[in-house]
Amino acid sequence: MSDSVVVIENMTKKFGEFTAVDQLSMTVERGRILGFIGPNGAGKTTTIKILVGLARPTSGRATIAGADCVAESHQIKKLVGYMPDKFGPYPNMRVREYLDFFGAAFKIPKKERKARIQEVLEITRGTYMQDRYVEALSHGMQQRVGIARTLLHDPEVLIFDEPANGLDPEARIEMRDLLLRLADLGKTLIVTSHILPELSRICDEIAIISAGKLRASGTMVEINQQLGQMRMVEIHLDGADRIDEAQDIVRKHSDIAEIAGSKTEELIRFRANLTDQAMASLLNSLILANIPVAQFHEVQTDLEDAFLTVTKEDRAKMV
Amino acid sequence: MLQNPIVQRELIGMMRTRKAIVIQASLVVLFALLLLLRWPVDPIADVTGVKSMQVFKLFSYGILTALIFLVPVFPATSVIRERNSGTLALLLNSPMKPTEIYFGKLTGVMMFVIQLLILSIPSLAACFVMGGISMQQQVLPLYGVLLLVALQYSTMGLMVSCLAGSIDSALKITYGLVLFMSVVVLGPHLFLQGATGSLSSIASWFRCISPLPPVMDIIGHGDVGAQGMDTNINAITNYIILSLSLTAVFILVALVQLNRRILDRSRSAGVMTHQMSKFAQRFRMILYMGMDPKKRAPLIPGYMNPVLIKEFRSRRFGRVHWMIRTMVVCVVISLFLAIQSTVYTEQWGVDIIGGIMVVLQVGLVVIITPSLASGLISSELESGTWRLLLLTPVNSRRILVGKLLSVAVTIFLIVLATLPGYVVLMVIDFTLVTQIWQVCVCLLMTCILVLAISALVSSLFRATATATAVSFSIVIMIFAGTFLFWLGKGAPFNVETVEKALVINPLATALTIMGTPGFDAAEFQLLAPQVMWKAELNELWPALQVPLEAMGIQRISLPLSWNWVITAGISFVCFVLFYVRVKLLTKPQ
Repeated sequence: MSDSVVVIENMTKKFGEFTAVDQLSMTVERGRILGFIGPNGAGKTTTIKILVGLARPTSGRATIAGADCVAESHQIKKLVGYMPDKFGPYPNMRVREYLDFFGAAFKIPKKERKARIQEVLEITRGTYMQDRYVEALSHGMQQRVGIARTLLHDPEVLIFDEPANGLDPEARIEMRDLLLRLADLGKTLIVTSHILPELSRICDEIAIISAGKLRASGTMVEINQQLGQMRMVEIHLDGADRIDEAQDIVRKHSDIAEIAGSKTEELIRFRANLTDQAMASLLNSLILANIPVAQFHEVQTDLEDAFLTVTKEDRAKMV
Repeated sequence: MLQNPIVQRELIGMMRTRKAIVIQASLVVLFALLLLLRWPVDPIADVTGVKSMQVFKLFSYGILTALIFLVPVFPATSVIRERNSGTLALLLNSPMKPTEIYFGKLTGVMMFVIQLLILSIPSLAACFVMGGISMQQQVLPLYGVLLLVALQYSTMGLMVSCLAGSIDSALKITYGLVLFMSVVVLGPHLFLQGATGSLSSIASWFRCISPLPPVMDIIGHGDVGAQGMDTNINAITNYIILSLSLTAVFILVALVQLNRRILDRSRSAGVMTHQMSKFAQRFRMILYMGMDPKKRAPLIPGYMNPVLIKEFRSRRFGRVHWMIRTMVVCVVISLFLAIQSTVYTEQWGVDIIGGIMVVLQVGLVVIITPSLASGLISSELESGTWRLLLLTPVNSRRILVGKLLSVAVTIFLIVLATLPGYVVLMVIDFTLVTQIWQVCVCLLMTCILVLAISALVSSLFRATATATAVSFSIVIMIFAGTFLFWLGKGAPFNVETVEKALVINPLATALTIMGTPGFDAAEFQLLAPQVMWKAELNELWPALQVPLEAMGIQRISLPLSWNWVITAGISFVCFVLFYVRVKLLTKPQ
């Protein structure tokens, strides 16, 4: 049985003539991590703003745990923890005071608040910085305080806008671990990022949005299928003598988008729209032609490829 | 110097801003209006030149006010803006010397000022052709003083910009200094003139920090509130000496700051008292009497408005120990004045002492309130914390109340700390009770008006620096600008015009109530409280009759000043607009 926590149905948001989000529909299941990606100006932040109750959709609706994002915005505030891309420090306030303020704003009773602040600082591994001034923290530390703030009221859904932005590699790994820990705690996460390899490592599902429209969503395999992503295949030969002949067989066999051969590497690499049967048939043809095939394998396409496919298509449409 | 790339960038950058265009256009319109308003319509020519002198006086005050309040805005944000955006690091990393950067910026501002002065020449020429104005005696000295004013205030702005930590604090400090250097310094002399002794002569020198006495001297307008008395001190020479000395100090301080050290400031480690040695902990406990700022603050109680506490905590001088220090300083000054009044009662008179206290109190409110209130909403919008606040269940009413209370409580405590002096005044002359009570109402109206204007402005701008500049400009125009009419009482303005201009100024009302020289209650009837409503005991609501009868009161009357009514009206409108604006800002877009 599906247990969708976040549900978006035919949601459109217009700013005058400009359509920021266009008939967007998607769902996120409980306890899953959704990577929400798209080029700049694709409509990610607008979608998130609607989900957290900071903006109203022009049409359509969005719900979180059954609560309508517009009509029940008060309920939404309790259900969602949102960390925007901009941290938002208060000057002259220490981390503990900063968290205390937001705890009090969320009406966490004073008796529970102290323990809660300690708990979220432990989760984010930020206990050591509780007495530091917020504006004096490094970017990585501020991101952790930002996450601690979103966790204070123990929300069901966490939405992070570019949490790894501007972080050094070590801090990025820490951030990745932190997001996975949060998922282990049973939270549903929506994460936007431009650092796609990081995202693909932690996300259960991906949603790609472009020009306000959802272009693909699901697991990586499902996304490749939805985008009609071409498969990349590498053929390693035992010697470079017959590499040209092998390339000719590959070209004859299917509609090849790109093909490249390297005599030094004794390798042919090509992209094509092939089914599994067509792949088997190609391998058979090579063997029948006595081409010395040492290895025949498919190279896994990644999130970056999917993202580039979408942006390339959009650019082509604009031209 | 013109080859300096900074000069070109500063000047062109400044000229491209909307702010500069608005300033230039407004000044041209203002000068034209001044001339049109005072242009003689009488077909008989005035050969004495009295009328042209009246126009010239108005023109001089107008251009001086414009320079004082508009020029420092540009240099005050110049260095700090570059530091925040990172371009200062690029400049300091270039082969340019700090002196080249500094003087490049200063030249850029001065060239902008020269442009403004050139824009005033057509109006001046129109004034000049009316006759009666001397080029050597009036026009050239006036423009010389104006250039000195621009230099003094620009170097002051640049110095503050090098020292400040943020754009809005730079603007707050600059406007505080502008008010101090142009208005507050006039205070001691205003009250001590005619007296003998070193205090009086220091006061007459001290007032020459302000450009107002030399300008008044040039246009033959006597002295500030001179009441027919003349001083033997040459205001122009003194101003030149003081202005150039201050300019040199401002330049020196700025140049000491403007090097790599400006970018090499460490982040606070945030060491707390419990992390210090036992000795340090005990020492701090005695020093701060249990209110150690480095001790962990208690959690916000559930019954308190979290926004109110947050406002105090996030304010640089909002913590308890700073509030106490400020209040102690206010009490000390207030009591000092009260003691002075007991010692010199016969020489000064309670009206003068009362006047000094009122000026200081209003000055305090006018400087502190906009600096606290003009960032109430704009700072949150600018830093992105407004969005975080909207994600919490705190509603717009609580936000509004928390924010307004945080400023109101601070101002109330500070004003309260300045009141003990009045008790001493009442002991000296008990008949002053009513006057003091009415002055307290004026102070209250001052606080409410300034708070309402600053809060509204804070909700209209997304940049705290702009909100601060606009708030200070409006408040200064009300509290200092209207006094320009008072200075021109008799010529070119008649008493009615001066009275109408001052009717929005609670300070003028307070001075009128205290009977300060120059503020005659019989002359300014709109300012002096008048009985607007009275009733016999039997006309009142029955529930009120019994307690009033028990107190022996037979009739009650309500004296009101038109100033109170008008300021209350303006404040009410500002608060309503503020509420509407906050409501709009809290709504999903």
